[in-house]
Amino acid sequence: MVIPSLVSVVDDDESVRESLPDLLRECGFAVQAFSSAEEFLASDYVDQTQCLILDIAMPGMSGPDLQRELTLRRQPIPIVFITAHGDVTVRPHLIKLGAVECLFKPFSEAALLEALSTALRAS
Amino acid sequence: MESELTRVIDALPGLVWTALPDGYLDFRIDFFTRRWCEYTGLAVDEAYGTGWQTAIHPDDLPELLECWRFLSAAGEPGEMEARLRRFDGDYRRFLIRMCPLADASGQIVKWCGMNMDIEDRRRSEDALRETERRFRLIVDGLPTLVALSTADLVLDHANHHYLEYFGAPLDELKARGAAHSCHPDDSPGVLAARKEALKTGQPYEIDARRRRADGVYRWFHLCHFPLRDAQGRIVLWCLLQTDIDERRRAEALLAGEKRLLEMVADGYSMPGILETLCQLVESTATGCYCSVMLVDTSGTRLEDGVAPSLPASFIDAVNGRPVSVDSGPCAMAAYLNRQVITADIASETRWAAGSWCPMALAHGLRSCWSTPISSAAGKVLGAFAIYYAEPRTPTAKDQALINQFTHIASIAIERTKGQAALRRSEAFLVEAQRISSTGSFSWRMATDEITWSEQVYRIFELDPDLPVTLELIGSRHHPEDVLSMREMVERARAGKDFEYEHRLLMPDGSIKYLHTVAHVTRDRDGQLEYIGAVHDVTQRRLSEEALGRVQSELAHMARVTSLGALTASIAHEVNQPLSGIITNASTCLRMLAADPPNVDGARETARRTIRDGNRASDVITRLRALFSKKNTTSESVDLNEATREVIALSRKELQRSGVILRPELADDLPAATGDRVQLQQVILNLLLNASDAMSDVNDRPRQLVIRTERDEGDRVRLTVQDAGVGVEPQGVDKLFEAFYTTKSSGMGIGLSVSRSIIESHHGRLWATPNEGPGAAFSFSIPCGPEGVTVAHSLDAIRAFAESNALHVTRNR
Repeated sequence: MVIPSLVSVVDDDESVRESLPDLLRECGFAVQAFSSAEEFLASDYVDQTQCLILDIAMPGMSGPDLQRELTLRRQPIPIVFITAHGDVTVRPHLIKLGAVECLFKPFSEAALLEALSTALRAS
Repeated sequence: MESELTRVIDALPGLVWTALPDGYLDFRIDFFTRRWCEYTGLAVDEAYGTGWQTAIHPDDLPELLECWRFLSAAGEPGEMEARLRRFDGDYRRFLIRMCPLADASGQIVKWCGMNMDIEDRRRSEDALRETERRFRLIVDGLPTLVALSTADLVLDHANHHYLEYFGAPLDELKARGAAHSCHPDDSPGVLAARKEALKTGQPYEIDARRRRADGVYRWFHLCHFPLRDAQGRIVLWCLLQTDIDERRRAEALLAGEKRLLEMVADGYSMPGILETLCQLVESTATGCYCSVMLVDTSGTRLEDGVAPSLPASFIDAVNGRPVSVDSGPCAMAAYLNRQVITADIASETRWAAGSWCPMALAHGLRSCWSTPISSAAGKVLGAFAIYYAEPRTPTAKDQALINQFTHIASIAIERTKGQAALRRSEAFLVEAQRISSTGSFSWRMATDEITWSEQVYRIFELDPDLPVTLELIGSRHHPEDVLSMREMVERARAGKDFEYEHRLLMPDGSIKYLHTVAHVTRDRDGQLEYIGAVHDVTQRRLSEEALGRVQSELAHMARVTSLGALTASIAHEVNQPLSGIITNASTCLRMLAADPPNVDGARETARRTIRDGNRASDVITRLRALFSKKNTTSESVDLNEATREVIALSRKELQRSGVILRPELADDLPAATGDRVQLQQVILNLLLNASDAMSDVNDRPRQLVIRTERDEGDRVRLTVQDAGVGVEPQGVDKLFEAFYTTKSSGMGIGLSVSRSIIESHHGRLWATPNEGPGAAFSFSIPCGPEGVTVAHSLDAIRAFAESNALHVTRNR
């Protein structure tokens, strides 16, 4: 039996936490959703997560903050950032810091799956 | 025959007579005696025998007879002088010549005589003698040195003064020879002049020093000229020697004074001038040393002292001494403002405290005369001292010289100080003119003589050597301003103050803006003269224009900045539901495509898709409400509703910044009158500012209160209160200035624009520091129907919102 890869979704927007895990499960991934970075770090899924879909702007710890924290903890989980802010200048910056991809909302299913497969290859 | 002889005898140039050997006159009645008788007026019989003696001057007769007897005894011819009375009683001198006639035996038988009238000759001889006597008298009596020499310039005679000066008798001076006692430096010149005079016979004049009996050389003016006889032959040379020592000294002093003043005028430094003064003193009063000390500006110390002929250690020991009676003669003279004389330093007891005497003695000085130097106004400028290596007391002559020196020193020092002050003030003026780009000029109407300061030349970019004419000025004027220049000249001719602005067209095509102001005065001759200033206002003009451009750019930037933030907010609000819609739709498709299809799941996702679609629609509705109005209008605005919309638009942004927003909106708020979108702009700006102000706050909640309430005077108030870095009470007003910002990024435009919006609503926008951390920004606007005065810059915001394209509207 193939154990599905665990994808964790961290976003403060409830509609994302509703819709995105459903789609990912439909695509065959195991999914855990968290409403904040802190919640994710406190969970038991950090070690198991093979790809992190991470919102950039969140109250409290932001997406890049979490990325930095994981780097410090030497837990290099491949990250796909998602953001509703149309600021394209952040993308190269985040990728330089090690992110696999940065998707601007609204993004297509195809773009999401391509980013995920890149991320999982990396992990 | 006899008649012929008689005529010859009568024609002889004398009175002829014969006499008997015994001395008595032999008389014969013939014509020989006729001239004699005619001269004396005596008849023949009256003269006969001894009668002739009545015609001889009684004083001369005894000698005459005595002499004659002597001749008779000797039998020799002879001659004698005697006065002979003329017929009219006048006596005239005659030379009486007589010759004895002897017979064959040698016996004198007769005396023949002839009387020659020598009166005229004797008189002229007497006159000559008198002249000579007087000449000698004059020569001896002349109050100058006179020497006479022979035609070949050998000393022959010298007057009393001459001998006295050289302190030697004439013979010794003769032995000393030509140019004796001349100063070695002067004697070659004197000898050469003498040689030349001897050759040409021409007079000469020369100045030379000659040594007095006591060894002192004094200056003389030598004037050597020949005296000639009637034939033009040189009889003797006369040498006049005039003592010009005093004059030379006065001339030297005057020349020295002139040189000093020239140095002052040429801007020499004070030490250089004082040294020259000392050298002048030393060259005038031989054998002395001189020093000059100045009193410092506070009047308490000696400074800037110079003593060029004394070792530096001397002046170093005096410089800086306090001006007091104890510290030395110069300090004392300056302190008391009177002369201090030390005839012998070795026996001097004053200034022990300053150990001045041992110091001076160590430098070989024995006497010191210090005199204060005072300004024309009587202020003590310094002290001047003369030193000698031997004990000495000043003579009246020395004092006269000292007076002259202190006078010169006073002038030189005061002028030097004055010049320095003047130069400083001129330099200030030039620098001020340069810095302020302002030049000055004068313009004499009668002659059109125009004088420019350096800066005006610089402004006009003309060579300072060029003479300034109206034509020259006109040639630099911008063609369009030439007419106004003509008008200005006409106004000026009418004698009125004038002020005008004009442009210059420079050779490189650039344009300068000048502002010229002139005030009319009358010069000393009562002629019209303008004194004026030319200010180069080009920079100001360019700045004003640049400022205008910046202001319009600023307005543009303000729009862009505010709208940028707004747009980001809108994008986020729209993208979020769009993202949900797409994800849900994708999920729905997958669920339906599954085998078996997950219909329940698909239904749920489709439901969510509808929900997110509505959410996006709500955002669009709000945006349309925000941007739908075509024109700025005054309408009734529910401030609470407007605030809620802004909150909804910015919620995400605030959330992203970790800000906790607490709205406190009054329930019974009356409607305000104004432009809803503009007011929302202001609210958004205040919210974002408050959020930014708390971005560095980590030790307390980033709490933000937005409050609406009624305000006094039928107004409504909105306050945004943060817990951020706060504002300094004194900096509050600055916050509203364009470009003022406390943020490390941002341009500080928002509050300035916000305030202008609120003011266009007849309202007020202000800031107050909190009691705790942070600050509150509030605006208050009327509820009444006054409406809104539309701020021009905000028209453009509308234009932007409508066209969704950037364009610049000039800010007027």
